[in-house]
Amino acid sequence: MPANISPSIPSPRSVADKSDKSALLAAIRMALQVESSAVRHNTQSFNRGRYAATSAIPDYETLKDKARAIKEDSLARLPELLAALEASVSRNGGHFHLAPTAADASRYVAEVCREAGVRLVVKGKSMTSEEIGLNRALDALGIQVVETDLAEFILQVADEQPSHIIAPAIHYSRERITALFKRSFRTDLPLATGEELTAFARGRLREKFLQADAGITGANFIAADSGTLVLVESEANIRMASLLPPLHIAIAGVEKIVPSRKDFGPFLELLAASATGQPMTSYTSVISPPLKAARVLADGGAAARQFHLVLVDNGRLNLRQDECLREALYCIRCGACLNSCANFQTVGGHAFGGETYSGGIGGTWESATRGLQNARFSELCTGCSRCVPQCPVRIDIPWLNTVLRQRLGQLDVGKRPAPNPLAPSADSGASLSRLFFARYDLLAKWGSRFPRSSNWIGRFAPARVLLELLVGVDRRRRLPLFANPTLVEASRQLRLDQPQARKDGSSRKAVLFADVFTNYGSVSRGLAALRVLHALGVDVVVSDAVADGRAALSQGMIATAARQAERTIAVLRPYLKEGRDVVVVEPSVLAMFRHDYRHLLKSGPAGELLQTLRERSFEATEYVGVVLQESQIDAAKVFPALRHPLGAKLFYHSHCQQKTMGCAAPTELLLRAAGFDVITSQVECCGMAGSFGYKKGFYELSLAVAEDLFAQVRKAENGGSRILVASGISCQEQLQAGLGRPVFHPLELLEEILKRGGIASAP
Amino acid sequence: MLAPLFERFSRAAIDAGATVEQIPRSSTALASAIRRVTGEARRMAFADAIDLPSDLFEECRRAANVVTARSRIELSSLDAGITEAFAGIARTGSVCVSVDHGEAGTISLLARMHIAVLASETIIERPADLFRPDCLGAKGLHRNFVFITGPSATADMGPLVRGVHGPHRLHLIVLA
Repeated sequence: MPANISPSIPSPRSVADKSDKSALLAAIRMALQVESSAVRHNTQSFNRGRYAATSAIPDYETLKDKARAIKEDSLARLPELLAALEASVSRNGGHFHLAPTAADASRYVAEVCREAGVRLVVKGKSMTSEEIGLNRALDALGIQVVETDLAEFILQVADEQPSHIIAPAIHYSRERITALFKRSFRTDLPLATGEELTAFARGRLREKFLQADAGITGANFIAADSGTLVLVESEANIRMASLLPPLHIAIAGVEKIVPSRKDFGPFLELLAASATGQPMTSYTSVISPPLKAARVLADGGAAARQFHLVLVDNGRLNLRQDECLREALYCIRCGACLNSCANFQTVGGHAFGGETYSGGIGGTWESATRGLQNARFSELCTGCSRCVPQCPVRIDIPWLNTVLRQRLGQLDVGKRPAPNPLAPSADSGASLSRLFFARYDLLAKWGSRFPRSSNWIGRFAPARVLLELLVGVDRRRRLPLFANPTLVEASRQLRLDQPQARKDGSSRKAVLFADVFTNYGSVSRGLAALRVLHALGVDVVVSDAVADGRAALSQGMIATAARQAERTIAVLRPYLKEGRDVVVVEPSVLAMFRHDYRHLLKSGPAGELLQTLRERSFEATEYVGVVLQESQIDAAKVFPALRHPLGAKLFYHSHCQQKTMGCAAPTELLLRAAGFDVITSQVECCGMAGSFGYKKGFYELSLAVAEDLFAQVRKAENGGSRILVASGISCQEQLQAGLGRPVFHPLELLEEILKRGGIASAP
Repeated sequence: MLAPLFERFSRAAIDAGATVEQIPRSSTALASAIRRVTGEARRMAFADAIDLPSDLFEECRRAANVVTARSRIELSSLDAGITEAFAGIARTGSVCVSVDHGEAGTISLLARMHIAVLASETIIERPADLFRPDCLGAKGLHRNFVFITGPSATADMGPLVRGVHGPHRLHLIVLA
């Protein structure tokens, strides 16, 4: 019974398979129209809960390290642990089956049920059983399967796939559930509250629990040495399914194995806090089935139990051999990467997901269990990196999606007439559109050489139509202007690029990295950084403009990005050798140095210099803070906010990668220290995310993501207007697009104050 | 300075939706505590104790509303089910109940209200401690059990609802 509102909107099921991009685009439209408000409300509530719960764990970071180490060790020893587990399960009196494929797993379960004469199965929530299509296999034998997790129960009634890995019906508001139940169960009950809906479902399901011939559950963790399962839940349906029926079948991926019970420890608090934001969920069962306690029968008698453990390979053992993607196997399915993702918060897993798995981690899972083409929805990962610090086992999810993007390109390469000449062979799958965004450096270089014509083209409607057709730049999006002179040229003309041997002021020596975004696009931010640093006595020079690889990486052009990373290191090497710090204006470029380069520069001289670069590179505003602190200069004296002509009240939006690197707080601190009244945005990402918001097909989504941000600005301005401030160049574009006002970089504010004599008391 | 274990346990359990009381360790005190909390309960059942001395439960087991001969249909309509817990967890407010001895698993699951009785000295700091061999006689390494943290709950129907398939209420009695 599809829950469609109008026939022109596709059902979630019909767009679950996104191997064709048109399904992805249709799913985004569907989700924005039907599911967005419930998904936004529910994921954001999970997201806030997780921040609160994880900050209450005193050794959160250590627990994550321990959890990661256990997973690394377990996966490394998987064959040995599988053998040990098989022996433990038999020793306990249960049956063990390792299923190589989804079809084999379903066949085995169906066979066990058939032999035991099962007519009714109660099922707990199990993504793995969704993955293997178990319900269809049991249906075919005439066995009734009842989903007992309330979210899965809703989906079974609605005939939809899960939209979230831990809250599969997160896209349903209470109102929509009421409507669905009233329609499907033809009841006159009001069902107008969560309590009434729950009582209604409980009544129907309690009966089934008592009658069921078999209970099927998943497992969160499995100890190899004792055959112990950990089953985490809140509703008690999994306890029912594993305890009441005569037959218990547990189905789980092979990656759920850990060596022994003592390895469960770090995961218990981490999983609950990361998933639902609770210290622990209502029930965490730790059982080594089959249970020995007498089973209470309908007539008061008792009988022995049977237990089968079905471990599913279905592509996981291949994934284990995949050097780039294998860390996805460490995933404990907490959903933190979904809840902290701005795109996911806006459309949920029916758009940002496949047939079973969803969100940032979901692409790799769909690719491993179903096929690479099924990972196409991973395009909704913008690489904003907000999920990275949230992952309890420290999986670099944006990197997985970058790898998928490269491979999807290679998959498509056969469909294109000619390989492109501007990319190394490993990146030859990049389409013209990808290439356009990836080689922003070339575009910008030529664009800024002929700024009048290039900027005119950017505003010329017929040209924009062509640009949309050829490379997929949405014609409604204002294009950033190319600058002439560039930062490198302007700093030379203004003599701001000279080393300064000064006796007073800071003893720091720095090089401002002329990243392509600042150099060709936002020169004023770069000049502001130079002027502020000069005023503080920092001996600062400007590097050559060189592509750092961010744009290429965002398009999955890993080989191109690696080549650019090598060149960047070569450009920076002499500066590092002479003891200069590297100051970066654009946060996404700094994130390349601090985070992404480790994937690109694994060995060689560039790799050796990487550690130094990571330690000695700074976000520009962060660096100003460091210099002030070292020189014991009071920000309020050198940059008195009241001298700013637009006033001392501002709204500050930090860049997503800046937040991940921990560089947002220093900027806020500095602005406050200067005397600004600062209200900060409370969103994970602005939705522009580099090139994402420019792309046709993602434009509406990008603006929908930004609605929260725009609303926060409007709310903050209830008490009078504020200066809009953002550190990222694409955040700046997004805010400007939504609010129609200029947006400043924090250092542009400080520079403006300097101009008005703020530096009077500086050294 | 951390508050004493019991206080933190109690606070966390209440946060999770449970109710908590501490009573003297006597059969009479336990009987009257259970009487107070079960109130009008028409049918209740006790699971056999394996960690606490069974004579502690003697007096309360004599109450008129205690069901002894029971089928699963009867168990499913219990107003209250009383079990012991072999551990309490201060950080999370959880209790650990064995599910593979007698009917403790079923009773703690099917009754409308679950009452768990535990000894104050079995309250430990964190869930992970239970998997250490030197903790509480290594019960966490050998038993089949469940960490119970508040009553059954769901957020799948919109707002948070307490009381789903399992107990709607969890009451914890800590023996001083």
